[in-house]
Amino acid sequence: MIEALLQALINGVIAGTILAVPALGFTAIFAVLNYPNFAIGALATVGAYAGWVGNTVFGLPMLGALPLAFGVAGLAGLAVQSLAVKPLEASGALMMAIASLAAGLVLENILRFGFGNDLRGFELPLLRDWRIGEFRIGPQQLENFGLALACMALLWAFLRFSRTGRAMRAVADNRDLALLRGVDPVRVALVTVIVGAGLAGMGGMLVGLDTSVDPLTGTRLVLSIFAAAVLGGLGSIPGAVAGAIAIGMAEELSVIVFNPAYRLVVGFVVILIVLTLRPAGLFGTRAS
Amino acid sequence: MTIMTRRTALIASASLLAMPSLARAQGAPIHLGTLTPLTGAGGPYGPVMANCVKSVITEVNGVGGVLGRQVQLTSEDDQTNPEAGLRAARKLIDIDRVAAIMGTWASSVTTAVAPLCWENKTFLTTVSGADSITALPHNGWLIRTQPNTTLQGRKFGEYAVELGGKKMFFMAPQTPFTQSQLANMKPPIEAAGGSIELLIYDAAKPSLRTEVDQAMRARPDIIILGGYTPDTTVLLRDIFRAGYRGKLLAYAYSVNQQMIGSLPHDVTEGIYTLAPSPAQGSGGFDRVKRIVGNDNPDPYTCQIYDQVNLVLMAMAVGNDATGQGIHDNIRRVSQGGGDKVDNVMDGLRAIAAGKKVDYDGASGPCDFTDAGDITDCKFRYDQVRGGQQTLIRIA
Repeated sequence: MIEALLQALINGVIAGTILAVPALGFTAIFAVLNYPNFAIGALATVGAYAGWVGNTVFGLPMLGALPLAFGVAGLAGLAVQSLAVKPLEASGALMMAIASLAAGLVLENILRFGFGNDLRGFELPLLRDWRIGEFRIGPQQLENFGLALACMALLWAFLRFSRTGRAMRAVADNRDLALLRGVDPVRVALVTVIVGAGLAGMGGMLVGLDTSVDPLTGTRLVLSIFAAAVLGGLGSIPGAVAGAIAIGMAEELSVIVFNPAYRLVVGFVVILIVLTLRPAGLFGTRAS
Repeated sequence: MTIMTRRTALIASASLLAMPSLARAQGAPIHLGTLTPLTGAGGPYGPVMANCVKSVITEVNGVGGVLGRQVQLTSEDDQTNPEAGLRAARKLIDIDRVAAIMGTWASSVTTAVAPLCWENKTFLTTVSGADSITALPHNGWLIRTQPNTTLQGRKFGEYAVELGGKKMFFMAPQTPFTQSQLANMKPPIEAAGGSIELLIYDAAKPSLRTEVDQAMRARPDIIILGGYTPDTTVLLRDIFRAGYRGKLLAYAYSVNQQMIGSLPHDVTEGIYTLAPSPAQGSGGFDRVKRIVGNDNPDPYTCQIYDQVNLVLMAMAVGNDATGQGIHDNIRRVSQGGGDKVDNVMDGLRAIAAGKKVDYDGASGPCDFTDAGDITDCKFRYDQVRGGQQTLIRIA
């Protein structure tokens, strides 16, 4: 039983780390633009397809396909923001969230129209897991884990050291003060949407690497992404990472304890508990 | 001045009252609907099914339709989702006024849609297999061309024993047929001294590693996969990674050629599949092959081909293009002896000539019990060899 729990924890940490990448994108958009972008699932799917095309059509290796996933999903995110969300900005966060949800459905169906419902697999050899005593871990899992950590490190460096990254953090912390200091809100919003959607795209591709790509690849992740962001504190970057790893572990551990069919309940229960006891989340500073 | 007599007035009034029905008889189209999964887990099948029905109806309309009326088809997407299926069925019934809805695929969708159909006197034909569907109080308002899970479960159990299994592990998502499938697999397995365990997983999960770990701890010699294509793909990858070397047995609708093409050969090689078999070599089957442009049409397309043929012939034989007409007459064309026909064109000609018809179609004989189940069906046993589904036998 102890082995089963530890194996589930290992699986959960790896699954959570991959989930953290789109969760970071979701929370970054929320922090700067103040609305939950529910197109994040469809944007993850866009990234997964872009990476798949890069890999299978253009023969790109994974490290080459990831930036493509980032770029294409970033542009798709920009289109969602400009065409669907921005025109409703004056109507408030709820309308913007609904617009993003609708735009996500449109994106999903555009992908379906273009690629059909077929499952697409990356051109990668599928390797047997390594066994270390009673535990097992997959080479692809480890590679994805490393790629997810690298994505997060790049984001951290961007936010910490670049002028644009610092401007994004400033707007997220105190929008009015940032504007007084001369930060261009339109440019910051633009960059945030591209970075947030791009991260979602990379997350979608990482999930697709481990499984397969179809028009619902990202949509299946939306609840877990949202739960991770709420648990960490909507708008908190370190919170999204911690929340995603916690959700990943909780989902895997629940398989040992409960009937696996109830895994989805974990996400809902986490959201319910956090909103009841600590609406700001673990790392958040504002109750949203 | 012309004075209208009492008799003239009565004739004129009767004629006026009869005019709408005369107009209908001369031109108003007959409405039929398909409700297949164009998206979601059933997405590989639904579009082909809908196109097959469209093709049959186009052919019938080309010779003047049924009862002198053109047939108008509306195809909706159930998204392999009961909630979306229910909304689409409401649209087909309330707005399009269809006499029949054909082709519901997932058992959960059929279970949701069936009560709406019988309450609105709309006939339902389905390819879903869950036992519970024909046990619904539908009073003859549905038929299915797919064998139920009692039969399918027993066949799976018998085949697992034949493959030499003693410890079986059944992995499936939660569906209306999972429990009855397990219950019907058990008797042949236990009679052979074997055992079977069940693990229900969440089909939306992107990784099923922990679930596979649970299965590995049971050390099974056969794992039976009871899911749909997307979740079975995830499951197969994780089973391969876990180093499992035993046998795998799955539904042919999930381990299909599309899935086999999307996974490395090592992962799918050797998987045994089982499925209700279409009536290969029959005239109906050959017609479906021509319609879909494929030598190996899937069983659901063969079934919906039979469904639309039966619905159109039932309308013709009963001289009634309503759901009630199909309800009352469908068994008059599906069974009971008469001229054997395998397509609606021959059937309509025979009916017009006053002959009794007995339809044998692309999926099988299409004879139905009072509950709406088919009475006979063959099964197809395949194994994945060299990246291709290879036929072992049809029995």
